Amino acid sequence: MSNRLRSSLTVLGIVIGIASVITLLGIGKGAQTEAEKQVQSLGTNLIFVRPGSSSTSSISLGQGTSQTLTYEDSQAIKKNCPAVLDVAPQYSSNLQAQYGERNTLTTVNATEPSYTTIRSFRPARGRFFNETEMREEARVCVLGDTVALDLFGNLDPLKKKILIRGELFDVIGIMEHKGANYNIDMDDQIFIPISTGYSALFGLSQVTGRTVKSILVEAKPQEDELAQFQITNLLRFRHNIVAPQGDDFMLRTQSDIMQAAQSITGVFSLLLGTTAGISLVVGGIGIMNIMLVSVTERTKEIGIRKAIGAKYNQILSQFVIEATLMSVSGGIVGILLGVGCSNALSTMANWKAIVSTESILLSFFVSLGIGLFFGIYPARKAAKLDPIVALRSE
Amino acid sequence: MSEFLVELQDVWRTYNQGAEPVHALQGVSLQIKESEYVAIMGTSGSGKSTLMNLLGCLDRPSQGHYLLAGTDISSRNEDELAEIRNRMVGFVFQQFNLLPSMSALDNVMLPLVYAGVQKEQRIMRAQQALKELGLGNRMEHKPSELSGGQQQRVAIARSIVNKPRILLADEPTGALDSHTAKEIMALFTKLTEEGITVILVTHDPETAACARRIVKVRDGKILEDLMIGKVQ
Ligand SMILES: Nc1ncnc2c1ncn2[C@@H]1O[C@H](COP(=O)(O)OP(=O)(O)OP(=O)(O)O)[C@@H](O)[C@H]1O
Ligand SMILES: [Mg+2]
Repeated sequence: MSNRLRSSLTVLGIVIGIASVITLLGIGKGAQTEAEKQVQSLGTNLIFVRPGSSSTSSISLGQGTSQTLTYEDSQAIKKNCPAVLDVAPQYSSNLQAQYGERNTLTTVNATEPSYTTIRSFRPARGRFFNETEMREEARVCVLGDTVALDLFGNLDPLKKKILIRGELFDVIGIMEHKGANYNIDMDDQIFIPISTGYSALFGLSQVTGRTVKSILVEAKPQEDELAQFQITNLLRFRHNIVAPQGDDFMLRTQSDIMQAAQSITGVFSLLLGTTAGISLVVGGIGIMNIMLVSVTERTKEIGIRKAIGAKYNQILSQFVIEATLMSVSGGIVGILLGVGCSNALSTMANWKAIVSTESILLSFFVSLGIGLFFGIYPARKAAKLDPIVALRSE
Repeated sequence: MSEFLVELQDVWRTYNQGAEPVHALQGVSLQIKESEYVAIMGTSGSGKSTLMNLLGCLDRPSQGHYLLAGTDISSRNEDELAEIRNRMVGFVFQQFNLLPSMSALDNVMLPLVYAGVQKEQRIMRAQQALKELGLGNRMEHKPSELSGGQQQRVAIARSIVNKPRILLADEPTGALDSHTAKEIMALFTKLTEEGITVILVTHDPETAACARRIVKVRDGKILEDLMIGKVQ
């Protein structure tokens, strides 16, 4: 029957629309899960303190450019804020590291031993530096796994010596693999004690001022708001900031970052969803069109059905059901196609598109709704036909 | 209640589609009793089909009254008319008017679907109707796989399956050869013996001769009303 071919072609719009909805929601959901995973992997109850251009100053230098946060600030936070569990100041710089013939430009991250617990980022082999080495400004370093590979290849880096900007450092550990985290390749770093960094690499002392690029703070469980309040007050006091003046530092919590990530992926999903929505409306109009043609072609049939006693609602529901069957079957094929596309994408890209039960149910009911909505007009047209006129048509 | 099954009282039907109104029926009064066998004759355009549409409750009079089994059709709405058609009236058409995509059995079951009869009941009654008309071995055939005479018998099975009071046939033998036409006419005779009122439109005097009453129409009026076997 040529009608079957015609219906299949019409339903193609719905198939494509629903398949895109499923795939796109899957991608959106996958991206969101990925983002959440990344934020979670930062550690728990984290607060980032960064130097920040104050919002009231007329010339904004952008965040992290001013040099207002110091090592002493981080010590004060640890000592004076009861809601704070631990802190890790960070001073990082891009420097050349060298082992034998091999060298690499990498980020040297000077910090404190507390870094490992706060970031939940630990050595896979060997160990991280300790408090004694901090105090003694020991020349020890821990390599990120990318750096270890770049400098040593197949060799074991442990107990070897490397050069960082011409200074010799003992390799005492290699970090676990962590992957990229917000544009920062966590594995392309070398960790050294911050005290060693100031004296041996960055040329900073108590006299010149030991600035930090950021302070990582771990708040006590359930107390991050309190910790933020305490840190803000303490730093305002230490930096002599009074009311109308803006802060010269900024605090960001993990949930801030999570919200930003979610709003980005949210916009992404919305955009993709709109695109899919448009193709569904087009599909729906296609169904309406084919139903109108069908009503015209089957006028005689409608006349016969009315003559033998079909009521208004009986004709109406016949055509609405036909439209709905078309759109729902298109929807089911679309769901299958969408799941297939999502799986195919997952194997090609290195992150997963996640098809949720909700998106499948949503797609199903959307296609049902399209059938009802776009089927009702042609069906009413059929149900309202005058039986005599309909019977006389050919 | 009236002693008549069908009672037209000064019925007019006017079509207002063209430039000037067409009076297809002009004051028709007609009374038909239970299980009568009536043939309506007349020239083309005399108003026969218009009259049949009214009798079958597909249409309402522009003026006057139509009482079917005592109820006045003129004041009924579309859905009520559909229900009356379903319960009281069977239609047989010149072109059979079966649904081509359905089997004979499904076609015959259709009025019962609209009557809300249960599925097993539907199948049973439709099968019985087809068997009575000698189509027991053709139930699963599509209309296109049946001869004209067989199709018309399926159509008759469909028209009587819900036990109507009247059966309306507009030129039922017009598309059949004379031999098959005779068979169909014999069927109608049998149905009137079972108590169904049959009203048919025909041009063919031989066909009309099977009926026990002949109503002649011209220009929307009844010209003659002849009853055979009854002294007037
Ligand atoms: N829907 C309509 N609109 C306008 N005029 C109509 C309509 N239906 C019928 N007529 C007119 O009413 C008159 C009676 O028509 P009708 O169909 O009842 O004739 P008929 O006796 O059945 O003719 P035939 O033997 O050719 O079938 C005709 O003049 C016809 O043109
Ligand atoms: Mg006619």
